[in-house]
Amino acid sequence: MPVLTRNSPVGLALPEFACQFTLAHFKRADETTIHTDVEAARREGLPAPVATGPQVAALIFRQLRTCFGEGWIVGGRCDLTFRRPVYVTDFCVARGAVKRREDSPDGVRLFCDVWIENAAGDKVIVGSASGLVQ
Amino acid sequence: MERDGNPAEVREGKSRVAADSQGPRARFEDIEVGRVLAEMDWVVTDEMIDTQCAIDDDYDVWFSLHSPWGGRIAPPQITYRPPRWLLSRAYNVRGLFYKWEMENVRPIRPGVTLRVIARVTDKYLRNEREFIVYEAEATDSDGHVVFRTKRTHVLDFIERTAERTGAGIDSGIKSERI
Repeated sequence: MPVLTRNSPVGLALPEFACQFTLAHFKRADETTIHTDVEAARREGLPAPVATGPQVAALIFRQLRTCFGEGWIVGGRCDLTFRRPVYVTDFCVARGAVKRREDSPDGVRLFCDVWIENAAGDKVIVGSASGLVQ
Repeated sequence: MERDGNPAEVREGKSRVAADSQGPRARFEDIEVGRVLAEMDWVVTDEMIDTQCAIDDDYDVWFSLHSPWGGRIAPPQITYRPPRWLLSRAYNVRGLFYKWEMENVRPIRPGVTLRVIARVTDKYLRNEREFIVYEAEATDSDGHVVFRTKRTHVLDFIERTAERTGAGIDSGIKSERI
């Protein structure tokens, strides 16, 4: 049962999903990358290996699937900005809130602000997302 | 291929990578707006879905067993890689992911062949860095759109005022697998 319905109020907080990332999350058996290797990252000007953006954003995708259910799989949209690097041992939590509602030809669409914060409270990924609700 | 470069200089952020094991890095001026990067037929398999769930440590009955659309489906974010592969077929770009728009039009089912086409739609400079924008769309064999995406990628973390002389270890060109 999706969290959001056509009756969900603007301002409603979305459920949070968190992960304590480790280097193991980003290891791929046969690759030395900026996501796993200190020297490879430094060659690119990065102080340490960085997390892969899609793996961090996956916390938001889990949030949106939970919130919209079928309305995320069919008709779901999002627009994310990776504002600053996430390092491979960072803690991250996906948060969000309902921003507005719109009637569309496909039904009622809810628009949400979504973001990911690190342990310091910095918003490392920010964006908007929407999905159809019943 | 020279891989050592000048690590001390690179660590101080004075040099951008000029080449890696896959050859010279694409330069901003090489990026051709409007260019079709490539097209590919892509079939999601059960193994790919399993891998995607493991990568994201995110499991759901819909992805593993059955869904309202009949049978299992793939997590929508499985669509990240094919457009990136198409970028890498045209240009050797490492850099960092900056923006990601995605639209999930239809569920992605295993065994269905999707035709994915991507093209460069913009490039721009901001904060002394070089950005490229590319878009991709996937259709099924009936011509129905399954997903759309628009990505912005920064060519280097280091500002463009830095010389491009360093040697990289990592390359954006990788094996095409989930």
